[in-house]
Amino acid sequence: MNARAVAAWSAACLFIVLFTTNPAYKAMVLAAAIASLAAGAGLHRMRGLLTGVVLIAAFATLLNFISAHLGATVLFELPQEIPAIGGPYTLEALAAGLSGGLTVGAAIVAAAPFSLMLASHDVMNALPAALSRTGAAIAASLNLVPSVSASFVQVTEAQRLRGWRPRGPRSWAEVIVPVVLTSVEGSIQLAESMEARGFGSGPRTALKSSPLRKSDWLLVAACAAAVITIVIAHATGRAADWYPYPALVAPSVDAVSLAACLLLFAPVVAWRSRA
Amino acid sequence: MAIARLTRLSYWYPGAEQPALRDVSLLIDAGLTVVTGPSGGGKSTLLRVLNGLVPHFHGGRIAGAAEVVGHDVIRTPTRSLARTVGFVFQDPELQTVYDAVDREVAFGLENIALPPREMAARVEEALYAAGVAHLAGRSVRTLSGGERQRVALASALAMRPRLVVLDEPTSQLDPEGASMVLDAVRNIVEQGRTAVIAEHRLERLLPHASASVVVDHGSTSAAWPVTSSLTAGITTRSRTGPLAWSLVGVSAGFGGRLVLESIDAFGHQGEVVALSGPNGGGKTTLLRLIAGALSPMSGKIERRPGRIAYLPQNPTALLHRPTLRSEVSLTLERAGEPEPPEAILAELGLLAVAGRYPRDLSCGERQRAALAAVLPGRPDLVLLDEPTRGMDAAARSALVGLVSRLRDQGSAIVLATHDPDLRSALADRVLYVSAGSVVGSESRSVSA
Repeated sequence: MNARAVAAWSAACLFIVLFTTNPAYKAMVLAAAIASLAAGAGLHRMRGLLTGVVLIAAFATLLNFISAHLGATVLFELPQEIPAIGGPYTLEALAAGLSGGLTVGAAIVAAAPFSLMLASHDVMNALPAALSRTGAAIAASLNLVPSVSASFVQVTEAQRLRGWRPRGPRSWAEVIVPVVLTSVEGSIQLAESMEARGFGSGPRTALKSSPLRKSDWLLVAACAAAVITIVIAHATGRAADWYPYPALVAPSVDAVSLAACLLLFAPVVAWRSRA
Repeated sequence: MAIARLTRLSYWYPGAEQPALRDVSLLIDAGLTVVTGPSGGGKSTLLRVLNGLVPHFHGGRIAGAAEVVGHDVIRTPTRSLARTVGFVFQDPELQTVYDAVDREVAFGLENIALPPREMAARVEEALYAAGVAHLAGRSVRTLSGGERQRVALASALAMRPRLVVLDEPTSQLDPEGASMVLDAVRNIVEQGRTAVIAEHRLERLLPHASASVVVDHGSTSAAWPVTSSLTAGITTRSRTGPLAWSLVGVSAGFGGRLVLESIDAFGHQGEVVALSGPNGGGKTTLLRLIAGALSPMSGKIERRPGRIAYLPQNPTALLHRPTLRSEVSLTLERAGEPEPPEAILAELGLLAVAGRYPRDLSCGERQRAALAAVLPGRPDLVLLDEPTRGMDAAARSALVGLVSRLRDQGSAIVLATHDPDLRSALADRVLYVSAGSVVGSESRSVSA
């Protein structure tokens, strides 16, 4: 699959999920992102990601519920004297938190194809020439990720056998510090290797380029149509904003805007055929 | 014909009072030049002068003159010298930019903006020259260490350099991987290229070398190196004691994958058991089971209570204290052992650097520092995973001496190793581990 087409789809998902305040459209984008990623990368490779997304979204929801003591529908109340968490806990704050969690979750899943479906050199190829050096540096650093995670497991195990026991956050320094130092040393060695191979000499060329195929162009067109439709619907007042305060109301749903979000499901067909 | 000429060259790393290279005058001709010398002697620094990483990447102060293929190294940046000098580093994993083999080999060519059509031909030529044409299109992550290092050699050759420099390219590899790389180096020299290589495994290279340089304390001499074998120093083995550890019908794995199946194995106090076998056969997993770092899926593991000392494959990753002495003290304090840290530091020849930051030491010194950090005092069970990986002759000898002493003191020792010399020098019994099973064992005679 073409990295530029993937980037266009990710950008469209991110734009819509950040542009609209309506949780119905956000939920639709999240569903499209999960379905598309499952088609391109396979559900088995998404397990860790989905677990992380659920945790982060839950945290975002909880944070808003705890910190925003606004809204008319009070569910329960903690004494105001308790710092930070004292005050009324409202249905509106919970709904706003859920909407925020949806935004974060959809944004993460929409960006996930870059790590789950594309090789680092594909991402680099997709960058404009002016960013090729940055891209090479990013590609190189991405290649260090597996060794950092292996190093973490190895150091934790070896330090345990050397008598280390996890006793609070400070004790983790004995694992984190060696892992970080090893990663930094690895980065320096990689930089040295890149320098020795002429990195930074000037403009670069690429061994292979991957042109956009017909199906890629169709995907880009679908994404553009989705974004334009949402923007027009919003500008004309068809896709109304949603705001949970002061009293919670259900978000209004515009059929045209919903149909525009459906276009983001296009990769389910395009990516499954190439997976 | 002179390819490189260093004239009265001295170099100081940033903040260093003593020079890493001291008044070096050297002429490198066409053919193969072997660079040898003790750890911390200045080999890597000397090699880095040849492509300008010293001083351009590392900074510091330099005096004298260095000329490589007509370029003044001190005035020419490394990225410009990249077309003339190819460089292969020690660790195959830390010099890979891309995940695809052909893209990786093309990285340097992309940097010098070679047209794509010409680039494809150069990549093919370089892969062939390094003996890895069959790996084109493969993911780098799926390659063995030896294959990755030959891809790194191909990456250097793709630039069609006049000089190829290799800094201990086999130090992180098992013997099979090392053979692959050294054969590739020998081939490129036979094809008429000039190479300079720092290497501890000299037996394969010396017959093909046209010159040799010994680097010690930052100075060079042209003495021809002498190869040495660990087996020369075999120590007397004592009788073994009671059972120290045992596995009965143990199966284990991780990530849903079965790595070891129905393993029966045991070891005694005062006995050295060596685990041998191909990469991926299950040696490390077996060590982790004995250590208790990994729980078995089925079967029974027993070990005598007591302190376990475990040396992982990349032991230098453990080092994090401000001085080497404090690194050793930490282990001793945790183990509740009264021994002063100086004892093991002296045994490993590290007293002179006891007050230094361990990560500032040379590669060979760091290996010994890691041994000192893990093995002080009197551990009851000693588990060593590829302990000679990356070690120079001095570190290997120090390891043999240390393990022999621990064994004689009654420690049970298990070492997973590809190193036949180490097995010969230390092992009382060898277990062959392959495809997740112990496929054979060999008891070795005990010297009187």
